[in-house]
Amino acid sequence: MFDIEDYKDVEPLPLTQDVTNEEELCRIMYCDEYKQVMALMRRMISKDELSVRALRLNSRAIELSPAFYTAWNYRFRIIEHLLKEETQLQGEGHDASYMLNKELDWLDEFTLNNPKNYQIWSYRQALLTQLYPHATFSREHPIMDLMLDDDSKNYHVWSYRKWCCAHFKTYGQEMAFTERFIKRDVYNNSAWSYRFSMLKHSDVDLDQELQFVLDKIEYVPQNISTWNYLGGLLQMMGTSDKLVEQLLQFSKKYIDESAFAYEFYARMSKLSGTANGKDVAQMYSHIADIDPIRDQWWNRKSLQADQGK
Amino acid sequence: MQRDTPLFTEEVLQKHVKFLKRHLLLLPASHQSTDVNLMAVVFYAFESLAALGQDIATDYQSNLKWMRSNYVSQKVTDEELSGFIGGPTMNIPDTITLSLPNTLFGLLTLVLMRDMEFFDKVLNKKTLGKFVSRCQLKENGAFVSVLDYKLGKASIIDSHDLRFCYIAVAILYTIGCRTEDDFKEYIDVDSLVEFILSQRSAFGGFGAFGEAHAGYTSCALSALKLLNKLDELSSLEKEKTLQWLIDRQVTREGCWEKQDISNEYYNEDDHGGFQGRENKSADTCYAFWCVNSISILYPNLKTMLQTEPVKDHLLNRTQNTLTGGFSKCYKEDADLYHTCLGIAALKLMEGSFNGALCIPTHAAKEFDL
Repeated sequence: MFDIEDYKDVEPLPLTQDVTNEEELCRIMYCDEYKQVMALMRRMISKDELSVRALRLNSRAIELSPAFYTAWNYRFRIIEHLLKEETQLQGEGHDASYMLNKELDWLDEFTLNNPKNYQIWSYRQALLTQLYPHATFSREHPIMDLMLDDDSKNYHVWSYRKWCCAHFKTYGQEMAFTERFIKRDVYNNSAWSYRFSMLKHSDVDLDQELQFVLDKIEYVPQNISTWNYLGGLLQMMGTSDKLVEQLLQFSKKYIDESAFAYEFYARMSKLSGTANGKDVAQMYSHIADIDPIRDQWWNRKSLQADQGK
Repeated sequence: MQRDTPLFTEEVLQKHVKFLKRHLLLLPASHQSTDVNLMAVVFYAFESLAALGQDIATDYQSNLKWMRSNYVSQKVTDEELSGFIGGPTMNIPDTITLSLPNTLFGLLTLVLMRDMEFFDKVLNKKTLGKFVSRCQLKENGAFVSVLDYKLGKASIIDSHDLRFCYIAVAILYTIGCRTEDDFKEYIDVDSLVEFILSQRSAFGGFGAFGEAHAGYTSCALSALKLLNKLDELSSLEKEKTLQWLIDRQVTREGCWEKQDISNEYYNEDDHGGFQGRENKSADTCYAFWCVNSISILYPNLKTMLQTEPVKDHLLNRTQNTLTGGFSKCYKEDADLYHTCLGIAALKLMEGSFNGALCIPTHAAKEFDL
C-alpha cells in the first residue's frame, strides 16, 4: 500500500511558479495530498528512479491525475525494469507473468473507474506487445465485457477489441460477439460497424448474412445502421441481376416509412434498369418530402440524377 | 447572414463572458486533473472569448509572460527540441514533457493574444518542427502526442490516431508551412496522407475501427485541407463523406415521426442538433465537428444544410442562460469544452470562424493563417 513515510529521503520538487499571482492563469487550489504526491512524483521522474516504491507512488499520482501523460510513460519504464529484475530471479522461483497479471489487475480496476480516460488502452497495448509475450485474448475479455455492459457503444473498447483480434490473430468469436449486442439493441451502430469490419475475417456464408440483416431491417425499417450494412454487404456480394431484383422488391416494402429504404430502393431501381434518370430524380424529390430537414441534399441528388450523373 | 439579429442578448453574452473568465482565475481542487493540460483550458476559454468579440490581447496582456513560460526547449541527446508543455507542473528537470496538443493550444492562444513578438523572436520554428517530426511513426505515418521522457523517441505507450495527425499538421501550418515542400521539411507527408485515408470507413466518415466518428472525420478533413490534399479523395468519395455528415443531423420530421421509441438514444427534442455517430444522441460538440467537416467539403454551407435548426438546438437546448456556457446536452451542467465548441459552431455558421484551425477568422487573418 502507498505510504508517504516510504519517501522520507526523497527531496520534493514542489509545485511553485516564479511569476507573481497576477500573471498566472488558471491557478488551481490544490488539495494537500495532490501537492505532496506530485512534488515527490516530479522528483522521482526527474531522477528516473525505477523501483517498487516508485510504482506505488505512481499509482497514487495517476489516480489523482489520470491525464498525467509522463506518469504513464514512467509507469511503463518502472514495470519494464522490475520485470527484468524478476526475470533474472526466475531461477529462484520468481514468476514474471504473476507480476504482469498484477499490473493488468490494477489497470482493470483503474479502467472501470476512469472509463473515458485516453491513456488506458494504449498503455495496455504497450504492455501486451512489449512486455507480455504470453498474454492471452481470454485474459482481455472480462474488462471489455464489463466496459461494454456499462456503455455498449464505448468507442475505445470496440477499437481495442479490434486491435486484440489482430494482435492475437484470433477472429473466430467475433461474429457471435457482435450478434449479442445487436440482439440487445438493433440500433447499436458500433456493433454493426464492427461486424462489417470483421466480415472479411470470418467464414460466414454471405447469403446467410444477407438474411440476417434483412430480418433486422424487417424488425425496424428506419434504422440507418442496418441499411448501411446491407449496402456494404451488397458491394461484397456483387450486384447480380437476381440479387438486385430481390433487394428492389424488399426495399419497396418500406419506402413509406423509411427514407433509408427509399434511397436504397432508388439505387436498386437504377441498377436494375427499371427506372431512368428522370424516374430516379423523382424518387429523390420524394425523399425530400419524407426527410425534410435534408431537403437541400435530396434535391441536389435529384438534380444530379436528372442530369444523368 | 442575419448579422442584424445577434446570436446573444447583451445579458446572455455577459453571462457567457463571465462563465469563461471564471475558468481562467482561481480554480477549486476539483479542477486538479486539468493541471497537466492547462494549455487546453486556456485555449478553450480564449478562443470562446475571442469569438464573442472580447479583446483578449488587452484584457490578458499581463498574462503573456506566464503563457510564454510554457514554451520550452528540451535537449534530447545532441538535438534541441521545443514546444509547449501542459503547464508549469509539467516542467520537470531532465525530462521531456513536450506535448503535441498543448503545443497547438499554446501557439493558437498566443495568436489570439496577438503576440507577434513571440512568433518573430521567441519561437524557434526549426526545433519546434523537429519535435513534431519525432512524434511521427515510421511504420505507418501516424502521430503520437508525446515523446518518451528519457529516450526522446515517439512514445510507445501513447495512442496514434487522427486527432494527433490533425494536431501535427495544424501546428506546422501555424508556424508557416504552406506548400508540400514546407511540410516535407519536417514530416513524411505521403505516409501521413496514406494513414489518414486508411481511416476512412466503408460508410463515408472516418474512424478508428471501421465505425465512422464525426470528431475523427473533422480531424481527417481539416488535416487534408491544411495539407492541400483534399483531392486525394475522389469526387465520389467526397460525395459519400458529405452524405454521411449530412445524415448526422437529428430530426423529428417526416418519416422520423415514426422512429421507434425502442431506440433509447433517440429524442425528438434533439431536432436540428448533430450526433457524432449513427443512432446516437445529439451533442453540442458534434455540431462543430460536423458543420466544420461539411463546410470543408462544401463551403456554400447554407445551400447544403439547414442551419437554423442547428442554431435553435444550440441556443434553446444546450445553452445555459442562467449560468452562462453550453452543455453537452439538455439538462446537463455547462462545461468549458462544450461552451467552446458550441460558440465555434454558431460562429462558423455565421461565417466568421476558421474551422480548420478552430479560431475566429479575424484572428487567423491577422497572422496570415
